[in-house]
Amino acid sequence: MRDGNGLDPDVANNAEEAKESADLGTELAERARAGDTEAFGELIERHRGRAKGWAERMTGDPHLADDIVQDALIRAFMHIGSLQEANRFLPWLHRIVRNQANMRLRRGGPHRREKPFASFEARERDGGSVDWDNLDSILDHLTSSAGQAAMKEDDPAEHLMRKEMYETIHSVLHCLTKKERAIFEAYFFKQLSPDEIAAMYGMTTGSIYTYIHRSRQKLRQEQIRVSLGLLPEKGGAVLARHKMLELAEWPAHASVPTTMVDRLGHMLATMGDSRDMAELMGLSGFAFRMQISEKTTFADGIYMFDWRETLISFARDLGYEAALVCGQLSDFPVPLLGAVEKFPVVLPIEEAVLPFIRQTIDSGRPVLYFDTSAARPFVHEWSLIFGYDDERRVVHLTDVMCPEGKTLSYEDVADNPIRFLAALTRQADRDQTAFLPGPRDTRRRRLAEKSVRFAVSFAKNRSAYRPMTSYLSYATGLAAYDTWIGHLRRGPGSPPNRYGMGHLAHAYSRTKSCAAAYLRTVPFEGEAMRFALLASEAYEQAAEALRELEELVPFIKTAELMQADLCERCAGLLEQARTFEASAIGYLEKTITYLEKGTSQ
Amino acid sequence: MSNAKSLKMMTEFQHLDNLLDAKASFEKMHPGVVITIEQAADHAESHRALQSDEAPDIVESGGWSIFNRKGLFVDLLPHVEETPGLKEDLNPGVMRVASKDGALTGLPVDVALPLILYKRELFDKAGIPYPQEGWTWEEMMETAKKLTQRNEQGVATQFGFGFGVDVEEIEPFVMRNGGRYVSPDGTTARGYADQLPVIEAYRMLIDAYRVHRVIRRPGEPSEAGELHEGFALIFGFAWFAGAVVRYGLEDKYGVVGLPRMPGGENANMIYMGAAGISAKSPNRELAWAFLRHYVLERPEAFRHANTLPITKSLAERSGYTDNPVWRRFIEEMDVVQPSGFYLSERWNSSRQLINEEIIRMINEGADVAQTIRGWTRFG
Repeated sequence: MRDGNGLDPDVANNAEEAKESADLGTELAERARAGDTEAFGELIERHRGRAKGWAERMTGDPHLADDIVQDALIRAFMHIGSLQEANRFLPWLHRIVRNQANMRLRRGGPHRREKPFASFEARERDGGSVDWDNLDSILDHLTSSAGQAAMKEDDPAEHLMRKEMYETIHSVLHCLTKKERAIFEAYFFKQLSPDEIAAMYGMTTGSIYTYIHRSRQKLRQEQIRVSLGLLPEKGGAVLARHKMLELAEWPAHASVPTTMVDRLGHMLATMGDSRDMAELMGLSGFAFRMQISEKTTFADGIYMFDWRETLISFARDLGYEAALVCGQLSDFPVPLLGAVEKFPVVLPIEEAVLPFIRQTIDSGRPVLYFDTSAARPFVHEWSLIFGYDDERRVVHLTDVMCPEGKTLSYEDVADNPIRFLAALTRQADRDQTAFLPGPRDTRRRRLAEKSVRFAVSFAKNRSAYRPMTSYLSYATGLAAYDTWIGHLRRGPGSPPNRYGMGHLAHAYSRTKSCAAAYLRTVPFEGEAMRFALLASEAYEQAAEALRELEELVPFIKTAELMQADLCERCAGLLEQARTFEASAIGYLEKTITYLEKGTSQ
Repeated sequence: MSNAKSLKMMTEFQHLDNLLDAKASFEKMHPGVVITIEQAADHAESHRALQSDEAPDIVESGGWSIFNRKGLFVDLLPHVEETPGLKEDLNPGVMRVASKDGALTGLPVDVALPLILYKRELFDKAGIPYPQEGWTWEEMMETAKKLTQRNEQGVATQFGFGFGVDVEEIEPFVMRNGGRYVSPDGTTARGYADQLPVIEAYRMLIDAYRVHRVIRRPGEPSEAGELHEGFALIFGFAWFAGAVVRYGLEDKYGVVGLPRMPGGENANMIYMGAAGISAKSPNRELAWAFLRHYVLERPEAFRHANTLPITKSLAERSGYTDNPVWRRFIEEMDVVQPSGFYLSERWNSSRQLINEEIIRMINEGADVAQTIRGWTRFG
């Protein structure tokens, strides 16, 4: 594929094709700038070869060029939000590659000792091997060599080195607040101990350490900005902004148990596009999904699907384009590995997420956010970020257990081991012709038919999402009941997980009710509709059996072990639910048969 | 021992029977002591519990990632030292991998490693001699080619080598060729994953799929059945061996070491989880007493196990050293080395991203050297 952005006329065979490619490149850059990681990935695929060419020409070394491109792409990814004009992506990338190449060449090429970008913890205590591109290395050198400085006053090399060191630091110090800067300078330049600084400012030694730590983090980020040739960010307090959206009313009865769909419904309502929630559950297929871990009654099966693909395609069905930011942190244990195993590995850097949050909130739209610190008994759930405050350094977000919402610090958001944020843009806003190919009723019917087909297919285990991680597997659809029942009947030596049991019963009893409610509203006619209604009734009965199950094992945080008689009662209710759901699927197969007959007639 | 009479243990394992047995026998030996057991669904939940104000005394995890995190667990080496004879009894290979920076943050549990198991019947039928210790990769490929059978449509009815697609499972061949994915301190893959021994080992592996066609490619149609059916040589972990022993099939399967690679190193990987004592536990002595009982003193735990005991005495008392299959696995523990996933969390997190690239090399013929050189970004 050729490059876009109109910067490469020599490879464009005709003007029209070149313009089309340039437009696509600009659109990708725009989406990437808004934080869409998928778009960034596509952009990189388009330009990786060219970036390598630049680096290779500068260094004459293909392996070094690979490394340079790698570092340049990491920097580009972290700072894409700062790109001023989307149609200038290529020159911007070129500048980053050039800077990276220059840094590498200064360092002495491939045989010089290498340090991975992420190894911020690394320390350079040897004054002779300070790494001038690494702020930590400089700071460590500064603290360790100050004592020896007097002895080397006459050494011209040392003098030059120190000059460069101070210039580097001073070029980035402006990002600190007044107090942070004062403490930082006292520690690094005046060589005062944290105890002495604490006494000076009437603070605790612990808080001085916190200040120093935070300052180092801010300086690191600022140093990267400077290395990119970006405009310096003024001190946080000067540009500090905050904005809070008013979310639409969202009473409990409007809520559905699948929190991703629920938050999307809430998000759309806030954006002035209220939807029927049972319909959203049906159209998204979540009304018909049930997955149970093959390990035990852990509740992780609820979350096992392709998050990116599901969200993008569901948003499109609803007439929206989804922009995503996703990743997994490497240094933290990641929950729900099966769902996030192929997310890119990312660094815990605020700049990678906050521009996306600010930009989306500023445009009046909430951000869908996967919260791994949900209040108990929930463990991790989707939520909506509906506000941010730069001064307090917090975002405001929803939580099922906190009706008034809660806050998370910017650090918490950056440190979330699963990074998954999404924003929706109405497609019609972008391209009036791209959506709604037919009349609304026809389209509704087509989507309903799609979801009924999905229900049958899923129940028969043909649409299951399978993680690549081999030790994680999940039973799907009707087979999930058998697995669930199997866990309950493994015997007293190996009881099922009680906490997960409560969560599964809570989620799936409501899911089946949504299936029943949705099927009452599908726009079918005649026999097809009659069977859809019969299926609805059967789903209602399945839901009833699962509600009884939930009464036996309420959704609470508990470590208790389930006794054999309770396991057996639960298994009996699951058998009932399975029978009803199998009937429902039988009716839906008949519905499809009649829909097909209708089409063929 | 302190006066504490209760212990809280969190485990990530789904089957609790072994742990419940240990709890029952320990509580019987120590009247008044009560052990409560809580399950965690994953490492993240264990990690969160360890950081909370109500941290469990003991955490048992199926992996090693939380044990690599500084400050969460107490160092067990002083306890090992003070337990007479234990230090000498612990398997040195396992300890080499489990001890990091001079500390032992958990007692290894759920230990497994891979060897080659071969199905005698398929060799006998083809008139081919059984593989011998010290065999080479080329000899293995020749054997596997002779034992791969395809029907008229080209669909395999029998594969010479049963092997999956996973960066971790390929790692023993990389190690044996003298390569490593990441540096010993885990800080970089540069200068390691991108080096010739790694690339060469991968070329040989990829050829086994694409040129020799002795391993089932991802998505390839097959009539060879399950692993225990139409596969002559099997890259078998302890859990496969456990099934062989449990069903009394020792006479049907032989076991032999992994083949020699050109690099000539005798090395293997090892999988293990661990059980460790929280740094916040006020009941360390009691917790150590229970850990010792649970992990080290119960040969009955290995009667129908899929895992390997970590002490010599336990290997003997559980009958592993007398069993022809298990005996070879115990021997192999001497040569195990730390894998990339133990050393680098970043590498570990990238597992499935790397696997996707391996599949591209197998199915689409993506350039091996170029692909692997790009893996420096994962380490």
